[in-house]
Amino acid sequence: MRAKKVSLYSLTGFSKNNLQLLRLLIQQELTLRYKRSVIGIGWTLLNPMLTSFVLWIVFSFFFAGKLQTGQQFAPYLMAGILLNTFFNQGLLQAANSIAANGGILTKVSVPPKIFAFAASLAAFINFLIGLIPLTLVVYISGQSLSFFLPIVLLVGFFLALFVAGVGLALSVIFIRFDDAKNIINVLLLILLYLTPVFYPISILNERMQQIVTLNPLTSFLDVFRWSFSNNATATPADFIYLSLTGIIFFTLGNFIFKRYWPRTVSML
Amino acid sequence: MRPVIEAKNMDFSYRVLTNHQSSLKTLFKDFVNRKVRVENYQALRDISFEVTKGETVAIIGKNGAGKSTLLKLLAQVVPPTKGALKINGTVAPMIELGAGFNPELTGRENIIFYSALLGRDVKKVKQKVEAIADWAGVADHLDYQLRTFSSGMIARLAFATATVEVPDLLLIDEVLSVGDGEFAQKSKARMQQIIKSGTTVVLVSHDLVTVAELADRVIWLKKGEVAMAGKPSEVIAAYQKSEI
Repeated sequence: MRAKKVSLYSLTGFSKNNLQLLRLLIQQELTLRYKRSVIGIGWTLLNPMLTSFVLWIVFSFFFAGKLQTGQQFAPYLMAGILLNTFFNQGLLQAANSIAANGGILTKVSVPPKIFAFAASLAAFINFLIGLIPLTLVVYISGQSLSFFLPIVLLVGFFLALFVAGVGLALSVIFIRFDDAKNIINVLLLILLYLTPVFYPISILNERMQQIVTLNPLTSFLDVFRWSFSNNATATPADFIYLSLTGIIFFTLGNFIFKRYWPRTVSML
Repeated sequence: MRPVIEAKNMDFSYRVLTNHQSSLKTLFKDFVNRKVRVENYQALRDISFEVTKGETVAIIGKNGAGKSTLLKLLAQVVPPTKGALKINGTVAPMIELGAGFNPELTGRENIIFYSALLGRDVKKVKQKVEAIADWAGVADHLDYQLRTFSSGMIARLAFATATVEVPDLLLIDEVLSVGDGEFAQKSKARMQQIIKSGTTVVLVSHDLVTVAELADRVIWLKKGEVAMAGKPSEVIAAYQKSEI
């Protein structure tokens, strides 16, 4: 008899070989999307820049003058778009990943969560790649990178936990009800407007400000902008709020998934 | 020595909605009108058996008797609704080979990805990629995308990848050979070699001749329950008698 050891497997349900699979899945998620395009993964760099440019033309007219002194609108907007894309795309892909790989999951014994984690981590990596053009925009607009830059990694990590957790819970719902997808799309749109992605929070009335501050994505975004190029104010409370959001939703999502998965798998 | 499979009083049932529309609106409407009911469909009932190391066990029975469901439980794709199942060792399911193959990836990438799905060590597989492709007869296509492969080539590649490593427990759902002519012979030979090499095997088949030839023990499933289990000759004889 071997003594029971605390291993990676006992903690996460993943074996060492599963981690290799996770790496392959992330690789696929990052490269397959652009397999047939000419500039390939270059789109990951170009996409946020183009989107930001369009929104910048539209919104700088309204909001650029409303920022506090020292803040710049272009990096403010682009940081918002990068983080929002991370959340939106990561969430939808994580939520879809399990249904999309149903053919595999009903034939091979793989921990199903691995697909949602891969989607969330791929969105994280896309986000990190997006920091390169953001750096460019930061310097063009006359700012410089902050000393607190490493905190961006923590923000990304907790957002990845948040995305994976909510994605896991949604994945079960998506398999059970097709309609949930449409509802989620609307909810994500509402969430976009409740996050100060392209407007400064100061333009809102007091009541709306309270609501927007309650949105955890606002804390993620403020800490991100602050730690990247000191382009927003963030408090320790924001940091605590975002880390708790990540941990709690991750735990909750895993719990919901574990509970409903055995009954859901036969619907695949 | 611990048995490779320990199954105790396993039940498997799933809930089905009659008139399932997969839409919240119609579902809600139908629920109110009591047009939909949730029914428990019991696919397996009170299944208990053990398989020791090196044994080859065949599962026979009519269509819908629960053979494939039982194999899915053994593959640990779904957990039993009731009862307990314990499997000691690595499992390789030969159920619909090539599940997980991606047409956009190259042959090489697919070999690696499929092996990773089966829980194998990617580093070890990388050294065997050429040998696998060679055996499957697709070596000159290895770095082309899978969508350029013919369906026969895909089947051969999947078979070669799945059987390159001998697992502790091999689950076979009718796949005893693939391809045509020469390759069918070659794959059948490899399969028999694996089965006779001392691996534990559970196989589902309608081909009673093959079952009699390969199995040490036969389990006959009837409407989700074990109708009979024991020596191949006796169980097969009883099964054939009940067919008439």
